[in-house]
Amino acid sequence: MEEKQIEEKETNRNVEVAPALIAVHPNQNSVAVAIGSDLRVYDLLGDCAVSLPDDSSPPFHKDSIRAIRYGANGKLFVSAGDDKVVKIWSAESWKCISAVCSEKRVSAVAISNDGQHVCFADKFGVVWVVDLRDINGNQAVVDKKAAPLLAHYCSIITSLEFSPDGQFIISADRDFKIRVTVFPKGPLDGAHEIQSFCLGHTEFVSCLDFVCTVDYPQGYLVSGSGDSTVRLWDIISGSLLDTCEVGAKDI
Amino acid sequence: MLEQETNPTISKSTGLPRKRFYRARAHSNPLNIGCGFGGLLISLSTLFPEVLMIGMELRDKVTEYVKERILALRVSNPGQYQNISVVRTNSMKYIPNYFEKGQLTKMFFLFPDPHFKEKNHRRRVISPHLLDEYAYVLGVGGIIYTITDVEELGDWMRSCLENHPMFEALTKEELEADPVVKLLSSATEEGQKVARNGGQTFQAVFRRIVPTS
Repeated sequence: MEEKQIEEKETNRNVEVAPALIAVHPNQNSVAVAIGSDLRVYDLLGDCAVSLPDDSSPPFHKDSIRAIRYGANGKLFVSAGDDKVVKIWSAESWKCISAVCSEKRVSAVAISNDGQHVCFADKFGVVWVVDLRDINGNQAVVDKKAAPLLAHYCSIITSLEFSPDGQFIISADRDFKIRVTVFPKGPLDGAHEIQSFCLGHTEFVSCLDFVCTVDYPQGYLVSGSGDSTVRLWDIISGSLLDTCEVGAKDI
Repeated sequence: MLEQETNPTISKSTGLPRKRFYRARAHSNPLNIGCGFGGLLISLSTLFPEVLMIGMELRDKVTEYVKERILALRVSNPGQYQNISVVRTNSMKYIPNYFEKGQLTKMFFLFPDPHFKEKNHRRRVISPHLLDEYAYVLGVGGIIYTITDVEELGDWMRSCLENHPMFEALTKEELEADPVVKLLSSATEEGQKVARNGGQTFQAVFRRIVPTS
């Protein structure tokens, strides 16, 4: 039985099902859901499903989608995963405007707040950046090349986030670490200046997000982890501000 | 000292500048066990007695060897060799766990594993991405010293450092004025072995700078 499974490993990848993903448009115009290799978008304003014509090559994702996001300005959407193709969509016309090839499977994606750059992380722990400044939505699909931005040595990056002011890019990995890096004016040359490390989690970091308040518009970083805590950080210093235990408690 | 070894979180700064060593796995030669490691660490200990220094080593046996060597020196030289120690760790993964931003004044990479195959180049201890982390723990003005007897690796390390915006090469005059540079080949066991065999060594010594934007 075991031998049979090993032989079929290449053709029968569906034995392990990728977790379903959901993303919401920043103005709640639409909702996107990824199930396996299938991407579905629902237009909340028009109250109808959106059909996604994909003229890029190859069309549609051929393998499990691992990451989806809307850009903060609501104009862009990105999907990527095990088929090693990062697809960048217009979140208005729902045309696929660019396809970027990755050498390895993709584990996380992020879009800069101004919509000028898309970043994605591969399974070797390298974060890549794509420049979108010369793209307009009316062109035919553009194949873009990504440049290496930074790397977490031999670790899988689970989450990528831009800070609300766009000054920093945050990357979290399975080796409990969160790295805060200055996002430079010319990111295609790499992001070499590390601002801080947010260290404290005792298990893999699974997710990142920012919470902004009126008093603190630059936002606080929040992270979730396999150690059953949610932690609050100041990204400038890397200081741990608070820890919230969310593990199951005996009543 | 034991606390430092088992506690992976950032150690509190003692206010003293620190140097840090890295000894990657030398291209494996089983006959090398017992040839003596910790040479440079031990030489520098008495040269700069006010500076804390730590050696980081991946191999258990080598770490134990260096630890025993230091303990023996402390016994036979009371009051000395208190400023050096060694820890078994994967420094390529956990450097920021051990050191605060800008905490180090010097870093040493001595005869690291060349990882000849191209697909393993990313495992090299000096790489464009890892230099970001070394630049983070090195204070501005801090110096990184590298030496190897493998020419191709020497070219690679020099090239990575030259292309990194946060490092600049020391001038010939600065190299000659630095007492530590001479020790790279004379104080290390590997360096002495290369000299005995009439081989060549390749050094790259660079300073951590503020990047010009």
